[in-house]
Amino acid sequence: MNRRKERISILLVGLVIWGCHSQPGRGAAAAKPASEKPATPRSTLKYAHGFRIDYYEQYREISIANRMAGQTDTLHYLLVDSGVPPPADRPGIPVIVTPVKQMAVQSSVHVALAGFAGVADRIVGLGSFQYINSPVVREGIRTGRVRQIGIDSKINTELLISMHPGVLIAMTNPNAAFGQYQPLMDAGIPVMPDAEWMETTPLGRAEWVKLIGALVDKEDSVNKKFDSVEQVYLKLADIGRAAKEKPTVIVNMPFKGVWYLPAGDNFMTQFLRDAGASYPWADTRGSNSLSLNFEAVSPVALKADFWLNQGYVDSKSDLLASDSRFSGFHSFQTGALWNYNKRVNDIGSNDFWESGIVNPHLILADMIRILHPGLLPADTLYYYKQLK
Amino acid sequence: MSAGRVLLHTHALQTGYRQGGRRVQVSVDLPSLQLCAGQMICLLGPNGSGKSTLLRTLAGLQPPLDGRVEIEGRWGLSAAELARKISLVLTDRITGINLDVYALVALGRYPWSGWLGGLKDSDKTAITRAIDAAGIGDLLERKVHTLSDGENQKVMLARALAQDTPILMLDEPTAHLDLPSRIRLMRLLNRLARELNKGILLSTHELDLAMQVADEVWLLQAAGPFHRGAPEDLILDGVFEAVFAREGVVFDREAGVFRIPPEGNRRIRLEGQGMAAFWTRRALQREGFVLDERGTGESGMDAGTVRIIAEDGRTVWVLESGQTVSRFESIGSLLQGLDRPGLPHA
Amino acid sequence: MRRIKKLRLIGLLLLLPLIFLLDLSTGPVRIPLREIFDILFSRAPDNGTWAFIVNNIRLPKAITAVLAGCGLSVSGLQMQTMFRNPLADPSVLGITAGASFGVAAVMLSGGGIATLYAIRELGSPGSWLIASAACMGAGVVMLFVLTLSSRLRDNVLMLVIGLMMNSITIALTSIWQYFSNSEEVKDFLLWTFGSLGGVTGSQLHILTLIVLAGLVVVFFSSKMLDALLLGENYARSMGLTVKRTRIVIVCTTSVLSGAITAFCGPIAFVGLAVPHLVRLAFNTSSHRILVPACCLVGTELLLLCDSISQWPGTETILPINIITSLVGAPVVIFLLIRRKNLNLYR
Repeated sequence: MNRRKERISILLVGLVIWGCHSQPGRGAAAAKPASEKPATPRSTLKYAHGFRIDYYEQYREISIANRMAGQTDTLHYLLVDSGVPPPADRPGIPVIVTPVKQMAVQSSVHVALAGFAGVADRIVGLGSFQYINSPVVREGIRTGRVRQIGIDSKINTELLISMHPGVLIAMTNPNAAFGQYQPLMDAGIPVMPDAEWMETTPLGRAEWVKLIGALVDKEDSVNKKFDSVEQVYLKLADIGRAAKEKPTVIVNMPFKGVWYLPAGDNFMTQFLRDAGASYPWADTRGSNSLSLNFEAVSPVALKADFWLNQGYVDSKSDLLASDSRFSGFHSFQTGALWNYNKRVNDIGSNDFWESGIVNPHLILADMIRILHPGLLPADTLYYYKQLK
Repeated sequence: MSAGRVLLHTHALQTGYRQGGRRVQVSVDLPSLQLCAGQMICLLGPNGSGKSTLLRTLAGLQPPLDGRVEIEGRWGLSAAELARKISLVLTDRITGINLDVYALVALGRYPWSGWLGGLKDSDKTAITRAIDAAGIGDLLERKVHTLSDGENQKVMLARALAQDTPILMLDEPTAHLDLPSRIRLMRLLNRLARELNKGILLSTHELDLAMQVADEVWLLQAAGPFHRGAPEDLILDGVFEAVFAREGVVFDREAGVFRIPPEGNRRIRLEGQGMAAFWTRRALQREGFVLDERGTGESGMDAGTVRIIAEDGRTVWVLESGQTVSRFESIGSLLQGLDRPGLPHA
Repeated sequence: MRRIKKLRLIGLLLLLPLIFLLDLSTGPVRIPLREIFDILFSRAPDNGTWAFIVNNIRLPKAITAVLAGCGLSVSGLQMQTMFRNPLADPSVLGITAGASFGVAAVMLSGGGIATLYAIRELGSPGSWLIASAACMGAGVVMLFVLTLSSRLRDNVLMLVIGLMMNSITIALTSIWQYFSNSEEVKDFLLWTFGSLGGVTGSQLHILTLIVLAGLVVVFFSSKMLDALLLGENYARSMGLTVKRTRIVIVCTTSVLSGAITAFCGPIAFVGLAVPHLVRLAFNTSSHRILVPACCLVGTELLLLCDSISQWPGTETILPINIITSLVGAPVVIFLLIRRKNLNLYR
């Protein structure tokens, strides 16, 4: 699912509004109401820029920078404990009764976030059954507890209204209108867009678990878990960044003569930086993808030491079948080809795009082991495997 | 006209088309038809009598419902073989093509030219001959879409001639032409039949012209028997009169012309000789007078007697109507005087 | 006249290597012309980056441009002649849409991963499946239109049928898109932008083979195309088997445009604009000149469009379909305003 969004951003943002980037910041949140006293925060955000949580005595407020239809605006939600009346001075703001007992989500990333918070079993609706790894959710699909609710314009509004989940976490893309969710909002189902894909760092993406934590009132345990992921990641990043050799790395695969590469502020670029790679487009601007001419990339691609993240290929012969010119690449000749498809399950769903969001430390460790053999104790890779 | 070699021969031919498995017969039962070398046949008949269908069937553009068409004793010829036997001038509009006249005429060599349409010397000779025969030497550089109707028809004829076939068929070739062009085209066709010994079959509405140039006339009727023969024979037999009477047209056997039947009932007598008398008669008939040549006053109003006399080298028309005698110096003033009897003129 | 046309053809032929070289020398990576020559003509095995770019990126792309330019222009020319309609081209008949549907069927069927696995199991690369699906899609539409055409003699009606086929296939593709995973839809959308840069290796060999074979057939049918200029009746009277000719034209057109569409995506306006440009420049309707001239002009136009799409100096690529539309649409508008030149068949 995540990859899907990446592609959308590639295609639409990359080609249409490429070069025009608006960064959602913490300042995007609305002014605080005067009547309520701020309370001590239980979660603080260090890396995520796309949302914030404000704490008041009677309720919490979540603000999400929502980028849809080419505009960025901030959406607000009040989290009110079950049994407590919603604040009278904040009319017109959707209220989510916490802890949320049943949630509908649209992408496998949301499933991973919920799984991290230990509430995957509260998922009752999923956007598409096509790409899913989580055993809990797959079991739910088997037993019929989890229903397919559709994505984008194919969302099954009537089913959702009849299910009436506590919240719908909606997958957003910059070209879709939020208006399609209005009937759900009118029916009293809070629709919360997720914008984790706009984060510029792996930890920023992972930190969205704190949003789920707030929704299900598991902030403490989630924060604790996140802190340990953070610690591991930072330690690994120190090792990776300190590597003496910085091998040149090329990522992704060209399609029809166009090579989409993560731009400087893309989380993948941050992974590469932290893994001690030399990535020639690390200084470009933007959090999306660059759409480059094959020829413009080829001087680097020909000589790069490593080639990662080819996508839907499983072997060197797959690569050649897609484009025979790849045989000219140095990385192809030396066999330095690594793809993130080790954990593709029987229905073809890639766990990299699911659990990967909450396991940035595992991805980073894989990358360091690939790029700098010997820097870390030898271990099997988690997400990556070599193309043979 | 002695008949030459038989080029085209039909057996038990019935024309028409099939519509959803149903046979729709267009023509009446046809006798065995023949077209010979050097012969020019005109296919006559009112609209809807099946002229075009017969022509298209004979040309092989559509299959007969029954029977067969033999070309030089063979039948079931392929399109390519047929193209070397029969060339066509059709009513299809081909204006607007960005071809010059020479290229269009050269297309006529299609059945003879090689794989790519390259022209051999023999092809070029045939094209030149066709251009000379059709008299379009001055049009060669022109684009087809700039031609007048008359020029266009001559160019299409040249294309058909370049095809160099023993049989030439033309579907209403004179349809859009002015009178001089019609006459020139008909003369040309008549000459081609004789000089090039071609068998020419053309459908037309030009009865007068057809009678002047055709060796044989095929007369189709919407409902009625098929007639054929030398045009003069058909006239003498009264076939023309009979056929066209049904169409509301009168054929004047003596003058050899068709005319609308008179609407008036005025009788008139004409006395005089020569060309002046001929044209006066035409004019009076046009105006609806019944010429009472023998003076046997039948029914109708007697309009009087017109006498044509020569006076000082000029022709004068004298009208005696009852007690009045008027003199006129032209047919036009005579007709005016007849319209307003009693008013003396000149 | 003929000499001038030959000289123009030779001029276009001489221009071709220059434009080809221009296309080879444009790209985001600046390579001196001298180096390009060295790389092209010295057969020395050089593993340098420039050699890779010239031999593996620019050369295949330029060759693809040549093939697509030839194939699409000639397909358009054939369509325009067959339908005697200046606005006909493969996309009008629905053939391109049929090919797109074939591509959509593969790209969007049953989940991209499942398909990819299936392709791998079959051992044939995905692009191959897509190519054959495109040709099949084009062929199915072609057969359907052909079946209808045997019932409908009227070319204009056939054009309407083509338009309807277009709508139907586009609607079917949209339905398929609607029920497909968004990621596959994005792949498909990227494909619809058109690209000359994605054809390499064995794909290029096969595309070359198909286009050359198609062009040979078209060249040898120039004579038939000439005959069709006068309309079906005249064509038949000159020995052309109209049905067989139609099959040849529709087959070559759908194979040419189907294969090109599969490998390069839909490329608009080349098939429509080039034949008009050529008629304007050569002032003829003779296909012996039009076919090679269309090949040359189509090739040169597409090479030029590709050079423009390189957007010299930037690393970003502009989809070729956008460039051809930007170049082609004004040409068509210009021709429409100069009605005289567009008015080829009416």
